[in-house]
Amino acid sequence: MNDTELNYLSFSEVCLQTDVAEETVFKIVEQGIIEPIGATPDEWLFSPMMLVVTKKAVRLHRDLKVDWAGIALAIELLDEVEQLREKNRYLQRRLSRFVDM
Amino acid sequence: MEFKDYYKILGVDPDADNKAIKVAYRKLARKYHPDVSDHHDAEAQFKEVVEAYEVLKDSAKRTEYDEIRQCAGQQQGFRPPFGSAGGHGENQYQGDFADFFSSIFGDEGGSRSSGSAGRRPFGQRGQDIETELPIFLEDTLSDESKEISYHLPRIDSGGRVTKVKKTLKVKIPAGVADGERIRLKGQGGLGVGEGASGDLYIRIRLVPHPLFDVEGHNLIITLPIAPWEAALGAKVTLPTLSGKIQLTIPANSQSGQRLRVKGKGLPSKQRQGDLYAVLKVVMPPSSNEAIKDQWQKLAELAPFEPRAEWSEAS
Repeated sequence: MNDTELNYLSFSEVCLQTDVAEETVFKIVEQGIIEPIGATPDEWLFSPMMLVVTKKAVRLHRDLKVDWAGIALAIELLDEVEQLREKNRYLQRRLSRFVDM
Repeated sequence: MEFKDYYKILGVDPDADNKAIKVAYRKLARKYHPDVSDHHDAEAQFKEVVEAYEVLKDSAKRTEYDEIRQCAGQQQGFRPPFGSAGGHGENQYQGDFADFFSSIFGDEGGSRSSGSAGRRPFGQRGQDIETELPIFLEDTLSDESKEISYHLPRIDSGGRVTKVKKTLKVKIPAGVADGERIRLKGQGGLGVGEGASGDLYIRIRLVPHPLFDVEGHNLIITLPIAPWEAALGAKVTLPTLSGKIQLTIPANSQSGQRLRVKGKGLPSKQRQGDLYAVLKVVMPPSSNEAIKDQWQKLAELAPFEPRAEWSEAS
């Protein structure tokens, strides 16, 4: 999924918008759940999609009491499920143009 | 107000111990968490489960709840107990779960959803709003201006949360993809005190097209052709997103074969996508005697075994 480039957010903006401490965002980045652009936290840029994922990670961590490594795995698998569902919808649509279903 | 059976919601016996309640809660929380489940009702169900656990995990609350539950078993309906710190005033919504909770335990439950970072001294930032915008494929070909409406939460003079409708004109850039988000800074909920306004996120949803399917930046159209068009080749008129074109079908084409029409897909930053016409050979619905004769002749003339692949397997 692409993001519109102009919409990138800084590290402090992400903390403000997700309402979590810097340390939490560090942990999320450390696990590779999101990969901001830029080498140092001062230079970090986050896409809107990364903000969405960060918010999701924070909710899952808070509500399900899963540690960050578990969150990383969960988000990866949820992503995969979403992609498979999307692919399935697409193939169903394609198939219905060829055969009666 | 309807009585809510917290034990039933967690699926545990009324005499279940703390450990069993915790296990049941964790299982259901994972199942119904709105970020995990794709069930349309997941959020409401998740809230019920959290609400139930909130009470049953706390022995004082559980004891209080058990007493009310005993009484509720003997009478129709449920009346909140006297002296409970309701704080809600007259509430007209019937059967709302949060109301049931606060009728017993007061508004202390309100702290459940607050964030971990706490209040900032300069006020609170406004809420981010996410809204979906359905877009027709035709509208992704060039920059389009779209009007969108969404609801913003606002607190009126009486302290009630109301919803205010807001309308904006938004430029949707050419080549947007399904699921892409566009951020509009400061167009979300108003901040409290000196807090900045939240942002508006527009999530693009491509409306399924009756003719074209989307594969990345390429488009696919299913092109029905007659058997003789497949055999002899043909020139057909093909619809594209930007008007009709002439397409040549080569002789001896197969059903399922893809013909590429360069540059007639969706625009993108990297390169213009292509349009693929996928051939679908269709039979005429019925034939008269003369046509049947022609098929008969063809059958005798053509040395063709369509099931040749099977002979090796059997």
